Amino acid sequence: MDLELTDVQQELGSTVARLLKTKYDAGTREALLATDRGWSEEMWNQYAEIGLLGLPFAEEHGGAGMGFAEVAVVMEEFGRALVLEPYLPTVVLGGGLVDAVGTDEQKSQVLPGVAEGTTFLAFAGQEPNSRYDLTSPATTAAVSGDGATLTGEKSGVLGGDAATQFVVSAAVDGGVGLFLVDAQAEGVTVDVRTQADGLKTASVLFENAPATRLGTGDASDAIARVIDTANAALAAEAVGAMSASLKMTAEYLHTREQFGAPIGRNQVLQHRAADMYATLEGAKSMALYSKLAITQDVDGTSKSRHADVIAAKIIVDDAAEQISQESIQMHGGIGMTMEYPIGHYAKRLTVIPRTFDDEDSLVAELAGLGGLIEPEAADVS
Amino acid sequence: MDNLLSKEELEFAQHMREFYRTEIPEDIRRRNAIGEELSKEDMVTSMQILNKHGYAVPNWPVEWGGQDWTPVQRHIWLEEMQLASVPAPLAFNASMVGPVIATFGSQEIKERFLPKTANLDIWWSQGFSEPDAGSDLASLKTTAVKQGDKYIVNGQKTWTTLGQYGDWIFMLVRTDPNVKKQAGISFLLIDMRTPGVTVRPIQLIDGGHEVNEVFFENVEVPVENLVGEENKGWTYAKFLLGNERTGIARIGASKVALARVKAYAATTRTPRGTLLQDPLFSARLTKVEAELTALEFTQLRILSTQAAGSDKPDPRSSVLKLRGSKLQQDITELLVDVLGPQALDFVDSREVADGFTTLPPGASDALKAYFNYRKVTIYGGSSEVQRSIISKALLGL
Ligand SMILES: Cc1cc2nc3c(=O)[nH]c(=O)nc-3n(C[C@H](O)[C@H](O)[C@H](O)COP(=O)(O)OP(=O)(O)OC[C@H]3O[C@@H](n4cnc5c(N)ncnc54)[C@H](O)[C@@H]3O)c2cc1C
Repeated sequence: MDLELTDVQQELGSTVARLLKTKYDAGTREALLATDRGWSEEMWNQYAEIGLLGLPFAEEHGGAGMGFAEVAVVMEEFGRALVLEPYLPTVVLGGGLVDAVGTDEQKSQVLPGVAEGTTFLAFAGQEPNSRYDLTSPATTAAVSGDGATLTGEKSGVLGGDAATQFVVSAAVDGGVGLFLVDAQAEGVTVDVRTQADGLKTASVLFENAPATRLGTGDASDAIARVIDTANAALAAEAVGAMSASLKMTAEYLHTREQFGAPIGRNQVLQHRAADMYATLEGAKSMALYSKLAITQDVDGTSKSRHADVIAAKIIVDDAAEQISQESIQMHGGIGMTMEYPIGHYAKRLTVIPRTFDDEDSLVAELAGLGGLIEPEAADVS
Repeated sequence: MDNLLSKEELEFAQHMREFYRTEIPEDIRRRNAIGEELSKEDMVTSMQILNKHGYAVPNWPVEWGGQDWTPVQRHIWLEEMQLASVPAPLAFNASMVGPVIATFGSQEIKERFLPKTANLDIWWSQGFSEPDAGSDLASLKTTAVKQGDKYIVNGQKTWTTLGQYGDWIFMLVRTDPNVKKQAGISFLLIDMRTPGVTVRPIQLIDGGHEVNEVFFENVEVPVENLVGEENKGWTYAKFLLGNERTGIARIGASKVALARVKAYAATTRTPRGTLLQDPLFSARLTKVEAELTALEFTQLRILSTQAAGSDKPDPRSSVLKLRGSKLQQDITELLVDVLGPQALDFVDSREVADGFTTLPPGASDALKAYFNYRKVTIYGGSSEVQRSIISKALLGL
C-alpha cells in the first residue's frame, strides 16, 4: 500500500503553490474581487502555460495525459489560495463532460482550446426548481437532423460568466442528453450573479438556442460520474482551504493577546484547535478516499465510486462547517471582516458543502445505497 | 402550554399583542420579519411610537418614562414585541446608556439626555471595544485628560455598531493610567459631531456595513459630559453589560425565524415531496424547536425566581446568552438549507432580469444572515466568556 503522492504530483503541487504564493496573495485576490470580471485573465494564461488547463485530457486532444490525481493536487493548492478563476467549471465539469460523452471529433474540437486557455466551459445542469436533482431536466431539446435547439432555464451555472460554450443538460428521447451551446448564439441570455464566496455563477435562458448534441445515448451516468469527480475536486479544494484556515487560526492564537497573554494560552482554545486538527485529518483522509474512488474507476463502471465519494463529501462538508465557524469564532470580531482573510475562507467553506448537493441529501442517498459497511462484515449469526 | 399566566397577565399579553399589531406600521414589521435591513427612519418611527405609549423604556425608573412592571410583565412586553416582529427599541439607548444615566447620572445630565434618549431623538453608539481591548475590555487605552473644564480625548474605538447613524457616543475612557486598569476608567458622553471625531466603515463578510471604527484626535469634551464620578466607569460598565444580557436570548424572535423556516420548507419541492416532509430536514428542525422550548422554560424559571424577589447574580442568565445565541445561529443555518442552491448568490433583492424565474423568499437574506449571526457568539460577552462565568459560579476555582 502506498498513499503518498508521486514525485511528479509533488512537483506539480509545489509549482502551483509557488505560483500562487508570488502572484495571488490576499491583497491581490481582494483587488480582483472588486473588479467586474472578478478573476484574473493573466492567471488563467499562466495556468495554461504550466499545463494545468489540459491536465486530465489525452495528449491527442491537446492535454497532458494525466488524470484526476493531478487535478486534485491542483485543487488543493487552489483551495489554499482561494483561487477565483473558473477551473472547476471549465476543466473538471465542462471539460470532463465533453471528455466523457463527446465523440472523438468533438473532443478534438473543444478540448485543445480548453488546454490553451481560449475556450471556457460551464455546465448548465441545475434549474430554478430542480434543487440538487440533475436527473430530470425541464429544459427540452428539439432534435432535427444533425442539429438541435434547446429551450429552458438553467441556474447556478458555475463559471457561466466566462463560458464561451455551455454544456447543457436537456430532456431528449425519454432520457437526458448533453448539448454544446455557443454562449454568443441567438436565443441565449446570460444573467451573471456573484456567490457569497466571490465566485461567479449565472442563470441562463435558452430560447430555441441552436445546439450540438455531445455524443449519443443517455448521458445520465456520465453526468453522475463527472459530478462525483467534481465533488472529489471540491473535497481537495476544501482541504486546502481548511488547512489554510487552521494555520491562520493557530497563528492568531499565538499573536492575539488579551488579559496580558496570547489567547492561545487558554486551554479551552487549545483543545478547540486540537479538535479542528482532528477534524481536518478526517477530511484529508476522505478527500484522498474520494480521489482514489475516482482514479480507480478507470472505465466508469465502478459500483462503489458513487457511495465512496458521497461518504467523503459528508465528512468534508461537516469539517468545512466546523472549521469555518470555529475559525471565525476564535478570531473574534476581526474574523467577520472583509479586510481580514479568514472570513473569505469561511465563505468558500460555507458554499462548498452546498454545491451540487447538501449534507442531508448526501446522507439520505448514502443510506439508500446501503452505506459503506456490509452487514455480513460482522459474524453475528 | 398556555395556562401559566394569571388572568391579569393574559390580559396584559393580549393588550400588548393588539397594541403592536395596530400601532406599529405593518410594513416595518413585515420587513423586519423577513430579514430585510431596516433603515434608520424605520427604527426611529417604531421607537417613537413605543415611547409615546410608554413602551420604549419600561425598564427605566417611572419618573423617566419607565413602567412599574413585574418581571413577568416585562417578559411579556418583550416576547410579544418579538412575536409581532416589532424592531426592538435601540439597545444602546434603551438598555445601555439610559439605565446608566438614570442610575448613576446627576439630575442635570438626566434631564439633558433621558427624554431624548427614550424618544430616539438622540441615536447613541457604544464606544467600548478597541482594537486591543475586546474580551479584555478593561485594558482599553483611549485617554481623556482633564484640562480646565474639558477633557481632551485621544484614541480609537472599534466595532461601533451603526456608528454611521450615531449622534452621540457613550465611551469608556482612561482617566487615570497609574492605577489598576479597572480603577482608572470613566464613562464619558461625546457628541459625534465634535471636531476630531472620525467614523470609518468596516465591511463585514455578509456584505453589509453595520460596524465602524471611530477615531478621536484631540477631541474636546466638556466635563459636564462625565457620567457619575471620575474613575468609576468600570462599575457603570459592569452594570450596563449585565443589562445587555437580559433579553439577549431573543426567544420570541427565534420563534418567528423558525416559523419562517417551516413555512418556506413547506413550499420547497424536493424529488420526494416538500422539504418539510423530508425526514432528515424535519428531524433537524424539530430538534431545534425542542431546544428552543427548553431555553424558553429556562428563561421562565429565571423569571419566576426574580418574581419571587431574588436579585442575586444568576449564572443562568449566561446560559440564556450561550444557548440563545447558538440557537439563533442554528436557525439561520436551517434557512440557508431550505434555500439550498438558491441561497448561494449574494443578491440585493429577489428581483431578477426579465424572463428569469424570480428567486424564492429568503434568497436575498438567508446566507447574509448566516454570516451576520456569527456575531452573536462573539459580542455581548463571547460564548467563551459566558462559559467562564458559568464555570466560575459552578466550580468556584
Ligand atoms: C458585529 C459586531 C458588533 C459589535 N458592536 C459593538 C459596539 O457597538 N460597541 C462596542 O464597544 N463593541 C462592539 N462589538 C465588539 C465586541 O464586544 C467584541 O468583538 C468582543 O468583546 C470580543 O472581542 P474581540 O473581537 O476583540 O475578540 P477577542 O477578545 O480577541 O477574542 C478572540 C477569541 O478569543 C476568545 N477569548 C478571549 N479571551 C479568552 C479567555 N480568557 N478564555 C477563553 N477564550 C477567550 C474569545 O471568546 C474569542 O473567541 C461588536 C462586535 C461585533 C462582532
